Amino acid sequence: MMVFPFMLLFAVFFLYPIASGLFYSFHDWNATTSTRFVGLGNYQRILASRDFEKAMWNLGKYIAITVPLGISVAFGLALLVNSFKGFWSNIFRSAFFLPVVLPAFLAATVWRWIYTPNFGLLNMILGWFGMGSINFLNDTGTMLYAAIAVDVWVSAGFNMVIILAGLKNIPKDYYEAARLDGASRLQQVRYITIPMLYPVLFFVTTYGFISALQVFDVPWLLTGSSFASYGGRQGALLFPVMDMMGRGFGSLRFGQAAAYGFILTAIIMLFTAAMFALRRKGYDR
Amino acid sequence: MAQLEITNVSKSYGAVNVLKNINLEISSGEFVVFVGPSGCGKSTLLRMISGLEDIGTGQIRLNGQVVNAVDPARRGVAMVFQSYALYPHMTAFENMAFSLMIAKEKKARIKEKVERAANILRLEHLLQRRPGELSGGQKQRVAIGRAIVREPKVFLFDEPLSNLDTELRVQMRAELIQLHDKLKTTMIYVTHDQVEAMTLADKMVVMHGGVIQQCGRPLDLYDDPANKFVAGFIGSPRMNFMDADVARVESDHITLAVTGALKQFDLPFRGFDSSLRKVQVGIRTEYVGLSEDADSAVSLPATVAFVEELGDVTYMHTDLPNGERLVVRSNGGRYRGGKECVAQLDTTGILLFDEAGERIRSAS
Amino acid sequence: MTAEAITAYSNPARAVALPFSGWALLKWITAACIAIVAVFPIWWMVNVVFAEPGTPVSLNPRLYPTSFSAGISKILMIMQETDYMKAYYVSVAYSLLTIAGVLIIGSMAAFEFALFEFPGKRILFATVMLSLMVPTAVTIIPTYLLTASLGWLNTMQGLVVPGLASAFGLFMLIQFMKTIPRDMIEAARLDGASHFQLYRYIALPLSKNALVTLAILTFMKTWGNFMWPLIVAPSPELYTVGQVVGLFNSPYSHQTVDIVMTANLLAALPPLLFFLIFQRKIVEGIAMSGSKG
Repeated sequence: MMVFPFMLLFAVFFLYPIASGLFYSFHDWNATTSTRFVGLGNYQRILASRDFEKAMWNLGKYIAITVPLGISVAFGLALLVNSFKGFWSNIFRSAFFLPVVLPAFLAATVWRWIYTPNFGLLNMILGWFGMGSINFLNDTGTMLYAAIAVDVWVSAGFNMVIILAGLKNIPKDYYEAARLDGASRLQQVRYITIPMLYPVLFFVTTYGFISALQVFDVPWLLTGSSFASYGGRQGALLFPVMDMMGRGFGSLRFGQAAAYGFILTAIIMLFTAAMFALRRKGYDR
Repeated sequence: MAQLEITNVSKSYGAVNVLKNINLEISSGEFVVFVGPSGCGKSTLLRMISGLEDIGTGQIRLNGQVVNAVDPARRGVAMVFQSYALYPHMTAFENMAFSLMIAKEKKARIKEKVERAANILRLEHLLQRRPGELSGGQKQRVAIGRAIVREPKVFLFDEPLSNLDTELRVQMRAELIQLHDKLKTTMIYVTHDQVEAMTLADKMVVMHGGVIQQCGRPLDLYDDPANKFVAGFIGSPRMNFMDADVARVESDHITLAVTGALKQFDLPFRGFDSSLRKVQVGIRTEYVGLSEDADSAVSLPATVAFVEELGDVTYMHTDLPNGERLVVRSNGGRYRGGKECVAQLDTTGILLFDEAGERIRSAS
Repeated sequence: MTAEAITAYSNPARAVALPFSGWALLKWITAACIAIVAVFPIWWMVNVVFAEPGTPVSLNPRLYPTSFSAGISKILMIMQETDYMKAYYVSVAYSLLTIAGVLIIGSMAAFEFALFEFPGKRILFATVMLSLMVPTAVTIIPTYLLTASLGWLNTMQGLVVPGLASAFGLFMLIQFMKTIPRDMIEAARLDGASHFQLYRYIALPLSKNALVTLAILTFMKTWGNFMWPLIVAPSPELYTVGQVVGLFNSPYSHQTVDIVMTANLLAALPPLLFFLIFQRKIVEGIAMSGSKG
């Protein structure tokens, strides 16, 4: 049976970790002392912690902005690229897609330099307009937005490509029929493009939610975090996965970290389920 | 001796019986065609012979050996698929050589065999092309070549011509006949096209509903069908069927009253089961003509519904007063308009069927 | 069809193509501006590297490369005087091994899933697909602990092996292999091909496109993977490019902007090159994962 190697690895490195994670999550365990059963203690401690509250609050704000903004931008880019033909369509598509190719760790570091106070590129441009230097990554008022900007910059191209494929799948006949029916360009987008793209937009949105809930690399690197200190000034860029990793590898409380993982999963599952329920409602209508 | 024997073979998918108690013998060198409407089980039977489908119950013997459990590749059969199933990433040569390569034949031997097959099929100049660069007919020939190279005991063809256009189909049909003459290997061919079956077959096996309706030489089936299904399936246009009452039964003839006919008529028949009161009369269009005078033997007044004019023959589709359709054939004569006509039956062409559709034959 | 779309029926005259108008101009300007925003940070990185060191960015905004030789010397300096090359090797080995593993293991499993029936197939498939929904967050810590207890911390197998059972890759390959016609497989069986030969001579060559796409996507993902190497291979011996770049960028790094950007540029180079070469495959691969997901 040629499925065996895959299933073996899958069982060992996916199923077993989940099961053992569940076990750890009910135990106090720090990799050195022996395990002690604590029941829901880990979960309670996490839910009651200030960091968790802060991380969730940041995450809420972050998602509320990133997901709609990212998808609107991606949709706009896709429409824009699609409105060009041939060569220029390819050029713009490649240009808009380029940031996706960059590893997230690089995107974050490059942007860190762009955000640098005083001599950073962005502040320099602001300087031309007579504005004072802003310490984007150390000012609790701007940090979150700076991270969101990077994230949209990184992910818009990815979603754009998926939406573009969806656009290409819409038969030309519909647009021609609509033009004969006298629909304007905007009406064509409203009455043909968006409804026909519904499944694709649904996928992109759901996927966007799921990955936004797990945001880690970009804020971690933007804030120059390490396991000793992470989340940026006053935890303004503290997110749940960072919090989880910190509890695990920073303070070696692996039981809590495992429990954290399950809390996050529960949230993600809830979100996904809600999305699918919404979609079903959309279809019924 | 029969080369291929199929005994008591049945097959079902869940509650659906695809094949019911199939018995068939095929002799070496025969060109056998399984024909029937889609879903009649003909492809399933072919695939069971090939080994791609498990044999449900019953046995299939090849050269006297039961092959039920023999691996498809070891049965000595080769198959040509409807989709050709050529490997798109290999050239025509590699496609034909594939089975030999798997069998670890020597390179030189492979080359020789493939080239011989290519020669038979006039493919020499195409051997380096990939399937994507070949036309439909060429692909078809490569697919046949792939089968030839294996030197099988039996060739299996699964509707191989149905993806070709009409003209190419006629041409490939002729080539297949020549190929069979040349190779003299047993060929089993599945099609839903009765014209294809008639032109190709030494032996024709008509299937319907998972049952063999009749098998034999094409013209025997045409002239002497075993039941209404075979009678109706073979021949174009379709055989006409009409209801008739049995008015009288004598020792050497019966008298029939065809619904709508102006008069009763006598039909020579021996040993008619006198308990039958109603029969169905089947008559091919070539036995139905137009009558000038309404007095001749069996005449039916009819209304012309539409006319197919093919030049050499004209088929008039007419409606009988009871609503049944009767197709009248006129050789040479052209349609001159007009709605009402009188159809005339040549009673020598009449076949009788009972109400279940089984043929009623005269005792000889 | 909505009411508006139906009532709009009476105005066919608008179907005439618009001339080169304000619309088109606006479109071009927007597209160009966004393209600049998208590309400029990368371009800027290049410029910083290929410029004389020392001038502060505020004086020299680095809108274009100024000194080719300065760039080369920085690259050489990084390669010779730091452990960057070693990290490069580690990253390349990590990526290549992962690609090879994912392709081999995934294609073998996809072959069975896509083309054959076997007991338990539906349950196995459902489990694997469900795993696509499970966030990395829940598995990363237990997987780390498992890897640690296997004694694989700071080893290449620790980096590679846990990532080989890629559900995404399996899904993609299954989707692709499902399109292989049944006839093709049966023809090969009649030609005498064994189960493994079917895989080797039919399924694999026919899935070449999907395999290449998956290889590229896997490369991008592995090269850019930051979190897993960070925790599983924290020793300098097995630093990946991502970690080294992180070090260069860390607040305690003593490197200048130029050097840091050079490190960044070198890290970006392989994916950028891949993108330039395989652009179509990458875009198709992502589009496919989206439309089928």
